[in-house]
Amino acid sequence: MTRLLLLASVLVVWAGSVWSQQRLDWSPEEIRIVGQHGPWPPSPVRDPSNKVSGTPAGIALGEHLFNEPRLSGDGRTSCATCHQAGREWSDGLAKARGSVELDRRTPSLWNIGYLHWFGWDGAGDSLWAQSIRPLLDPREMNGGPTRAAELLRGDARLACGYEKAFDRKPGGDDEQLLVDTAKALAAFQATLVSPRTPFDDFRDALVAGDRDGVARYPVAAQRGLRLFIGTANCNLCHLGPRFTSGEFGDIGIPFFVRPGEVDPGRLGGLSRLAASPFNLLGKYNEDPTGENTRRTRHVQRQHTNFGEFRVPGLRQVGRGGPYMHNGSVLTLEDVVKHYSEVSPDRLHSDGVPLVRALALTTEQSADLVAFLRSLDAGPPARPVPPPLCP
Amino acid sequence: MKLTAALLGLLLATPAWADCPLDLGRGTGWVVFSDHYLMAFRPDPLRIEVGEPFALVLNVCTRSGAPGELLAVDANMPEHRHLMNYRPSIVAKGDGRFRAEGMLFHMPGRWEITFDVRAGEESERLTHDIILK
Repeated sequence: MTRLLLLASVLVVWAGSVWSQQRLDWSPEEIRIVGQHGPWPPSPVRDPSNKVSGTPAGIALGEHLFNEPRLSGDGRTSCATCHQAGREWSDGLAKARGSVELDRRTPSLWNIGYLHWFGWDGAGDSLWAQSIRPLLDPREMNGGPTRAAELLRGDARLACGYEKAFDRKPGGDDEQLLVDTAKALAAFQATLVSPRTPFDDFRDALVAGDRDGVARYPVAAQRGLRLFIGTANCNLCHLGPRFTSGEFGDIGIPFFVRPGEVDPGRLGGLSRLAASPFNLLGKYNEDPTGENTRRTRHVQRQHTNFGEFRVPGLRQVGRGGPYMHNGSVLTLEDVVKHYSEVSPDRLHSDGVPLVRALALTTEQSADLVAFLRSLDAGPPARPVPPPLCP
Repeated sequence: MKLTAALLGLLLATPAWADCPLDLGRGTGWVVFSDHYLMAFRPDPLRIEVGEPFALVLNVCTRSGAPGELLAVDANMPEHRHLMNYRPSIVAKGDGRFRAEGMLFHMPGRWEITFDVRAGEESERLTHDIILK
């Protein structure tokens, strides 16, 4: 009996020792910063420029259209061809493939409804305006300006779904029907919110002072998180619950897409934004207050926008890839290596550089990867889309 | 502490500038001054969030109590030497009152707001730092 008690005491001491190793000491300031990366999930978002945003009928129509190959010129490509539910709403390719291989990677659609700029270069100022581009682009779906209208008018099931969503039958204005198609597509895409992750459980436990909850988060991920919000300063751009500012940055990825040809990134995106008849300053914005035009009215084109691309959110990042706007970095480990070794010569920073070679040790790199992978979770199975009309 | 100083500044300033009151309407804000100018301003909404647009409500006065003119507002991060990604627009409301729309701080850290003000031929740049967490 005495031996048994002794053994039990030893086990308790050992367990306590292991427990204490599972939790870093977090300062109040660190807890505040970690807290800024949640809570998750956020409240559903509604786009005031799009009257079917957040409506069940608009979302249902959008999901059917998202999977509709007849929107494309050859009748074989839908939005879901590149934005695949089983591949984190991307395609797993380094560069998107339409009728030809494109210069940029297919971005994931997770949490896209919370953005303010869309596309790698931010050429879209609304999700619906951005959704028009691949429908028309000859290199992508190549649907042409009348395809969506013909489909909505000619297909009884889609026409019925349209009437339920927009309270009117599909009319004769092809451009209006193209915009409405994109608005339904946007309504659906805005519902794609990534699931809660091990990081979210840790974050909530840390903020609540729940020591048991904190200790359940792997210590390597804790060390990686401390780096992320500390010396590595990743959270200057990858901030907030979605781990992105939604703005643009140059992180030292080569500009050239082919010999003698560059991708200007945000600089080109701002030119396209200004020229688009579908931007929020145009007639298709349904927000009567005009409040949602503030970014578009005031955004300024600067020479530093050259080579900048949108800062991606990091949720589900370990399940995606390849990485960067052009898919040039294959693995998450390579992403961390990029930031560890990036050349200052390429970045031309006048002041304290936002991106600098972190010179991480092997253990630090592994910790950062462990943290980033804690932002992943398997999404629940998707239900079959509801029928458009009985 | 900054807020207290600003409020104190407002209390001290108000009696002398009847023609150009520094009252911003909500009883709070910052005061910036030089040898020639006094300026009060507050953000709208009052709490500035990273990545969210906001406006500035401003009153610009000369030391002698006359309304001043606000020529430009901008902001930069001195450490990183970059500006905002947005260019504010200014609407004059009369009597030295202005509203600058379209401000947005896209990163946490120290932002320096610059105000170009003028009265008659004389112009000047005033600055104020804000630490955004």
